[in-house]
Amino acid sequence: MIEFKNVVKKYPNGTLALKDINIKVEKGEFAFIIGSSGSGKSTLIKLILKEEDPTEGDVHVNGYHVSSLTRNVVPSLRRSLGCVFQDFRLLPNKTVYENVAFAMQITEALPKEIRRQVPMALALVGLSKKANVYPNQLSGGEQQRVAVARALVNNPALLVADEPTGNLDPETSWEIMKLLTEINHRGTTVLVATHEKTIVDAMKKRVIALDKGEIVRDQEKGLYGNEDKNYQIHS
Amino acid sequence: MKIRTIKYIVKEGTVNAYRNRFMTFASIGIVTLSMLAFGIFYLFAVNINHNAGILKNQLEFEVFCKPELGDVQVNQIEQSIKSSSGIISYTKVTKDMAFENAKKMLGDDKDILNGFDNNFLPVSFKIKIKDSVSSEVLVNKFKSMDGVDSVKYPQAEINFVTKGSAWIRLVMIALLLILLVVSLFIISNTIKLTLFARRREINIMKYIGATDWFIRWPFVVEGVIIGLSGVIISFVVSTYLYNMVQDKLSKGITDISNGMMGLVSMKDVGFDLFGIFILIGISVGIAGSMISIRKHLRV
Repeated sequence: MIEFKNVVKKYPNGTLALKDINIKVEKGEFAFIIGSSGSGKSTLIKLILKEEDPTEGDVHVNGYHVSSLTRNVVPSLRRSLGCVFQDFRLLPNKTVYENVAFAMQITEALPKEIRRQVPMALALVGLSKKANVYPNQLSGGEQQRVAVARALVNNPALLVADEPTGNLDPETSWEIMKLLTEINHRGTTVLVATHEKTIVDAMKKRVIALDKGEIVRDQEKGLYGNEDKNYQIHS
Repeated sequence: MKIRTIKYIVKEGTVNAYRNRFMTFASIGIVTLSMLAFGIFYLFAVNINHNAGILKNQLEFEVFCKPELGDVQVNQIEQSIKSSSGIISYTKVTKDMAFENAKKMLGDDKDILNGFDNNFLPVSFKIKIKDSVSSEVLVNKFKSMDGVDSVKYPQAEINFVTKGSAWIRLVMIALLLILLVVSLFIISNTIKLTLFARRREINIMKYIGATDWFIRWPFVVEGVIIGLSGVIISFVVSTYLYNMVQDKLSKGITDISNGMMGLVSMKDVGFDLFGIFILIGISVGIAGSMISIRKHLRV
């Protein structure tokens, strides 16, 4: 599903963001990518979305060889995965329904299909009643749920979330995490970049820990911080 | 591209134009004024060209005999005019007629002619020729004839008008280029503002997998809306103005030129003008939006 092979990312300003990264996330998995700011989490996500290209190595996502993708294929890569961001990224002048429907409109989906899928996605995130409301009338948690619905409406095999709870209070953060878990149970691969210790510790999912651009730990059912001194995370 | 996508794009472009209405109206205004200036100049040039054409095909000229010629020699000239091919008809202007004409021309000052007899005036022939015949050849033939003093032929006027219309065409092209650049600039600036206002939205669209063209088309539509509105308004206004001017001037011009010249009717140029305007409106709209999209939307 996602594979990083000897990936190195060096930014033009000389920052070495990722050093020789090797990761493999299988279909149906739920994995956290953790690390403090500057650890390379965001760069990793950017490489998956082809917002950035690796300096060395290969990135494969959903069967796309991302690092060698030409510009005109990038949209189809992005359509093949759902994306959730810390700042929600909803279109402010479209209603909740229209925001979710828009993700289907750009794929030139049939109106019939849109009318069927959008209510289903909204029901999944529990926002059926707020379909005709504008994003600025919603709480942060609700906005993020709209973003999740939008990410899911095209039935992607992979959901990537970059700090999805970064702007939310602990309680709402839990709602979102529960939602992501549920989505994972339905068969979607979920990859979450976060630095929220309590959530990671409680979820007992796969944890890939990054520090200064290197993988310091990759553990099934992991915790955020490891007792082992060799794998201490500096945060 | 599917029809529903085209619908979306047109709707999106119209909504953009409306949201940005202050700038949209300002740019429509600039395009309107530019095209109005061009349209007026175009109509002016069409009329000059039209009348230059009439002059060039001037099918009448006057052959003047030398004043001292006797009747016999004048008859000889008349015979050779009669036998020339390519002539439809001719009228002989005798010395008496010429004298009367001169009196008429002088009007109140005709007293000057007192004491003169008609002898100093020449006999002349007004000749009408077939339009298939080159007037130049005939003019030269008559000029070289014995006893012919001169041939009056509006060559100088024709040269002047021809040269003038070439200049007018040049000025028209230059004017059109300047106005096109102004329109392009103003349209691309308006689109730039929309782009700027919608930067975040565009970014989001990119993240959820919209193709470059899906993002670009609405801006192209916005540009075309501005361009087309501008040209249509200026077409209507210039048609109206032209009809008004034509009403006022037409009779005067026809009188001055003995009905030879006149203004071109809007019916004859309207279609061309409309075609040119629409073409310019659409292409300026597309080009204007493309300029700003290319620079400010690295999608």
